[in-house]
Amino acid sequence: MIDMAIKSSNGFIDKVMRYILNTWERTQLVICFVLVVLIAMSPLVIRSPYYIGIIILATLYAYIGITWNIVAGFTGQLLIAHIIFIAFGAYTTIVLQNKFGISPWIGLLASGVVAALLGVIVAFITLRYGLKMDYFGLFTIALMTALRSLFLKWDFVGGGIGMWVSLANTSFANMIFQHKEPYLYIALFLVVLGLFIQYRIYNSKMGRYFVAIREDEDAASALGVNTALYKTIAVVISATMAGIGGGFYVMYVTFIDPNQLFNLGLNVEMVMAAPIIGGLGSIAGPLLGALLNKPLAELIRGFLTVGTSGTSLIVYGTFLIVTILFLPRGIAGLLQNQYNKLRIRVYGEEKG
Amino acid sequence: MALLEVHGITKRFGGLVAVNSLDVSVDTGHISALIGPNGAGKTTAFNVIAGFYQPTEGKVIFDGMDITNMRPDQVCKLGLTRTFQVVRPFRGITVLDNVMIGAYNRTNNDKIAREKAYEVLKFMKMEKMANQTASGLPIALRKRLEIARALATEPKVILLDEAMAGLRPTETDEIIEVVRDISKQGIGILLVEHVMKVVMSLAENVLVIHHGVKIAEGTPDEIVRNELVIDAYLGEVVTDAAN
Repeated sequence: MIDMAIKSSNGFIDKVMRYILNTWERTQLVICFVLVVLIAMSPLVIRSPYYIGIIILATLYAYIGITWNIVAGFTGQLLIAHIIFIAFGAYTTIVLQNKFGISPWIGLLASGVVAALLGVIVAFITLRYGLKMDYFGLFTIALMTALRSLFLKWDFVGGGIGMWVSLANTSFANMIFQHKEPYLYIALFLVVLGLFIQYRIYNSKMGRYFVAIREDEDAASALGVNTALYKTIAVVISATMAGIGGGFYVMYVTFIDPNQLFNLGLNVEMVMAAPIIGGLGSIAGPLLGALLNKPLAELIRGFLTVGTSGTSLIVYGTFLIVTILFLPRGIAGLLQNQYNKLRIRVYGEEKG
Repeated sequence: MALLEVHGITKRFGGLVAVNSLDVSVDTGHISALIGPNGAGKTTAFNVIAGFYQPTEGKVIFDGMDITNMRPDQVCKLGLTRTFQVVRPFRGITVLDNVMIGAYNRTNNDKIAREKAYEVLKFMKMEKMANQTASGLPIALRKRLEIARALATEPKVILLDEAMAGLRPTETDEIIEVVRDISKQGIGILLVEHVMKVVMSLAENVLVIHHGVKIAEGTPDEIVRNELVIDAYLGEVVTDAAN
């Protein structure tokens, strides 16, 4: 059918198709653009605050997925408990607002800086002691557990009770809104920013060095890649972006406590699920994955919370396992196969 | 003073002496070869020279600088790079991107890196597969890609670890030509090779090591007539037969 459409047009559709399909990266950007526009227009159709809420979280998780994709997808570092950066960001923003009266807009930037510092520490310790792959992942989990204990005992940040946003002063400066739509557009702005940064990295020396490290660290260093430096850069960029995401997260959910945040369950749902389902290491993966994952998780939770608690988690976990087994390259991998076929049809058999 | 000078490097792994006070030198535009039976310590020597291992004793001097304790990427910046015995392409990305990663050694600019990569691919007669994914290449082309990536870093000396192992005779001949062309550009080459034909036709200077120790050095003609070398290679066959 696409063939017919291309042939019947006066070359215009053909030109557009050729432009879009020129490279897989460009095609992914177009897919992302369409998805972003759809999210931006969704409040026109969807009125229910409950559903808007799901879209907001899906959008935020897409952004957080992008931040994880840079470190886990591009450089292949198994930074499992990425949520520590989100937690640091969340605590920074809320502490600055509640204790010092500083606007969350500035708080978000401070969150990025604080999370970046934690990123530097993580990178330094793991490189100093040569922790790679599984050991690197286990280190981050251990660190998360230690931080949870620390925050539970730390009265200044509310200890086990946690901290919350006082909803009385709705205003733009306080980043507290009566309706949900403004949150959606802030989250969407983060996604666009994240996609832009991710694409710029991917298409640069830094991104190619990241991928070289993922594919073969020794071969990369033989070609002049300072692997320690670039691994650190990846962790710090990712941590900074995640910290900002964490700052927004607390403003939206309005309440955080250590048990909820320094938590592997939330880590899977918020950080890992979207890029893995969407396609780790790809450009469109985190956004595609988040838009499928979050609504599905909510749906499963909605249907299965009655009766035995935990049933929904079993179903959700099974869904994740099946996806990993049957779609090892995620939705993006599936789309890339279609892309390759379509590209041959539009461009003919010529290569590149 | 030669461009690359290795002075008495020794590498021990616990009780095992993999390389024992080895001296090697490679000069601009010259081809040297390091040969020896399996397990002789050739690859370990490469790993020490290229900065992957710290030697237990000895020094590596490159271009007048002591590089003994430098990392591989620092050594590469100075102009010394290596290929791997088991080819290690960056599988998930294109051939062009593979070579660009090498080219970024001398530039931060994407455009310059891309031009350099195309130039090297043309030299290696691989420009047609620039946009193919590296994982799809047959072994002969992967070996070429390995050399292309190393060349893109603009080295003064390349260490080639069995660049021709596992190739068909015609493919081997092609790579021999390539290596000769590289050498003509003034790049020093140190080969580790099992295929004697390659060593005989390329190397000006051959070092033979056995159990980590250098047992002979000389021109290919001298080496094939050397008793110790014949013993090292053929002696094992006799013992096997006795068993």
